[in-house]
Amino acid sequence: MSTTSSTQAPAASDSVARSGATRRPRLLISLFLAPTVIGLALFSFLPIVASVVLAFFRWDIITSPEFVGLDNFARLASNPTVRVSFLNTIGFVATAVVVQLAVALLLAILVQSKMPNWLRTFFRSTLFFPLILSAASVSLIMAYLFNQEFGLVNEVLGWIGIAKVGWLTTGFGAKVVVLLVYVWQNFGFTFLLFIGGIAAIPKEVYEAASIDGATGWKQFWQLTLPLISPTMLVASVMAIINALQIFDQPWVLTRGGPGDETRTAVMVIYESAFRQLDFGGASAIGVVLTLLIMLVTAIQFQLSKRFVFYG
Amino acid sequence: MVDISRRAVVGLLGLGVAGTAISWPRLTGRDIPGRGDDALTVALFGTQQDAAARQALVEGFQKKHPDVAVRIVAIQGQDWSEYFAKILTMIAAGSPPDVVTVATEGTQLFASRLAHPIDEYVQRDADEMQEYFDDVHPALIESFMYKGSLFQLPDNFNAANVFYNTTALERSGFERPADDWSLEDFFSVARGMKSGADGRFLPYFWNNRLWGGVVPWLYVNKTSFLTEEKASGGDWFWNRFYPSEAPRGGGYLWERADALNDRAVESFEVLQQMVSEGIAANPAQGGGNELVALFSSGQVGMTPAGGFWVKGLHDAGVANDDYDVTFFPRMAGQRHQFGAGGYAIMQTSERKDEAWEWLKYCVSMEGMAIAHPQPDSSLPRRSLNTKLYGAGTGPAHWQVFYDTLDKFPDTGPMPAPPQQAAVESALIKNVVGAITNGPGGVRRGLENMQRDLELALKGR
Repeated sequence: MSTTSSTQAPAASDSVARSGATRRPRLLISLFLAPTVIGLALFSFLPIVASVVLAFFRWDIITSPEFVGLDNFARLASNPTVRVSFLNTIGFVATAVVVQLAVALLLAILVQSKMPNWLRTFFRSTLFFPLILSAASVSLIMAYLFNQEFGLVNEVLGWIGIAKVGWLTTGFGAKVVVLLVYVWQNFGFTFLLFIGGIAAIPKEVYEAASIDGATGWKQFWQLTLPLISPTMLVASVMAIINALQIFDQPWVLTRGGPGDETRTAVMVIYESAFRQLDFGGASAIGVVLTLLIMLVTAIQFQLSKRFVFYG
Repeated sequence: MVDISRRAVVGLLGLGVAGTAISWPRLTGRDIPGRGDDALTVALFGTQQDAAARQALVEGFQKKHPDVAVRIVAIQGQDWSEYFAKILTMIAAGSPPDVVTVATEGTQLFASRLAHPIDEYVQRDADEMQEYFDDVHPALIESFMYKGSLFQLPDNFNAANVFYNTTALERSGFERPADDWSLEDFFSVARGMKSGADGRFLPYFWNNRLWGGVVPWLYVNKTSFLTEEKASGGDWFWNRFYPSEAPRGGGYLWERADALNDRAVESFEVLQQMVSEGIAANPAQGGGNELVALFSSGQVGMTPAGGFWVKGLHDAGVANDDYDVTFFPRMAGQRHQFGAGGYAIMQTSERKDEAWEWLKYCVSMEGMAIAHPQPDSSLPRRSLNTKLYGAGTGPAHWQVFYDTLDKFPDTGPMPAPPQQAAVESALIKNVVGAITNGPGGVRRGLENMQRDLELALKGR
């Protein structure tokens, strides 16, 4: 029986595939996909390949590229600024992602709790709003607000007797401001993801849990969190990838300073390429950063097998 | 799925091809006005409005050269480094301009790699050029020489002088500082300004950058963070155009880091003391816009600025007698720093002769007057500078702008070797650390700066 069906089924599907009725939709699908595929190939895939190749060359735009093998990578390893920038980036990701997910989840739960629809809509809009602002503009305004001498933040702190804080001129202060500005601007997307995840949980599950005597806190830990774990996985993967590429906020707020305290990997890529005309070195840093992103994402997906509950 | 016939698919494809063909000029950027024209392309650092403001200059030029079409391309950026990077991408894209505006920050980068020396042109038109050089201080010309060749003709400059708020000075009980005021005098004035003001007032405000940052305090102490040397050569120029002056050499060289010399340490300690005393701001990175607002609202007592500030303050509604300008105070000396700007001809240009005519026109009496109708920069031509600032807009002691060159002949350009971007980053990166970690932190900060500068100068 099985022999017959297994030999007949492919033959049947082959004949269907060859029919004009199936070819036409495939052609149409290809046609509609083509612009995106071509765009991705030209503007995403090709530059990635080009930058990988460039990582093995010395190139300053003006003169011809010169093959230097692994020299760019060796220079990376011995450059203290590059090392510090990667450590800063990892430290930033570790704090920013945790804070971003926690704030977004907390606010999503609050917004999904019992409140009038108009109020819910209001909160959804206002909390999402920072995401649509330009990071550079926001950072510029924040730089004024956190200015040590004339900023509004120190002015307000002064009212309650707190001495002027060097928000952007001390290592700790600058890191805190960059973190605050980044999280404020970026948690909106994660927040929307969580709202979607929470809204998708059937009410019956909570009703059943209530009948069994589960309190709100228990419901959160034992129902809400496990049921939104797929959303949490997506949110954390995206948050980590985004945070690893942080550039705008520290660039505008501190230019990486004071010293190298807020210098990130992407800032060093930009500075190497467009300020020091070291396109090979910049590409090498880019390659390492890409590998780091891939590694972190792979680890996340591996860990997700243990922690993500797909119902 | 909707069943679409083969004919419909072909039709869709045809429509796509037709649409692409129709929009081809847009897709390839050929519909951008001026692109592909046979014109002398001049790139400048600024906005489209700045480009439009140059239209009068273009028209003036074309009256003399009706056969030369000129296209101005404005390139926006946060600083000169960004502008230079964009010029380089234009070169990489195969559409380099013929002429570019270059300031001191990029002079040696362009001279070493991209610009065409103008020695032959200057010598060819020597008689015509003599009138210009007679009107211009040689220090400005020297700043545009690199290894014995001349690459640009200055059409604006700005020395870092001290702008001060006259009300704040009067409130402190001090008279206008003497031209040769000392560092001690500066501290006395600053302390006086602070004691007579409320909490939101700062006697001295500055930004962490190359121009007007820490460099003036190094220069007045007869030092710098790089070793300054002069290249050989240049006699062909000095002997011909400035015969009564001692030849100045073939331009500046900054090839070695020198952040740990005793005088540099001393200058940083002075700034550290100012910041710790609360008479100077802990410098934030930034441009001058923020400063104009703070200064014009009376929250700042003194700040380093140049002639370019006059128009900014005027536009902000600051009256001429609300502020004034003086020299930087004396330490071991009273050398000032300046930055200059001018046009350079690109090596790649196929219109070098036309480009030279453009350069000449821009530094002519007519061209410079058209390009600077308002006091937005000090002018290299003495005569025009006097006309510009003596017309009633600006501080009472506007003569300070040009006197900085005349009274302190060792005044020179800010240090900007071909690796300027990396050098500037190394400087800016370590300034705040050096002056905010107490007196003991100065040397530690400068050690880091020395290390970073050595890396920057070593290149890649």
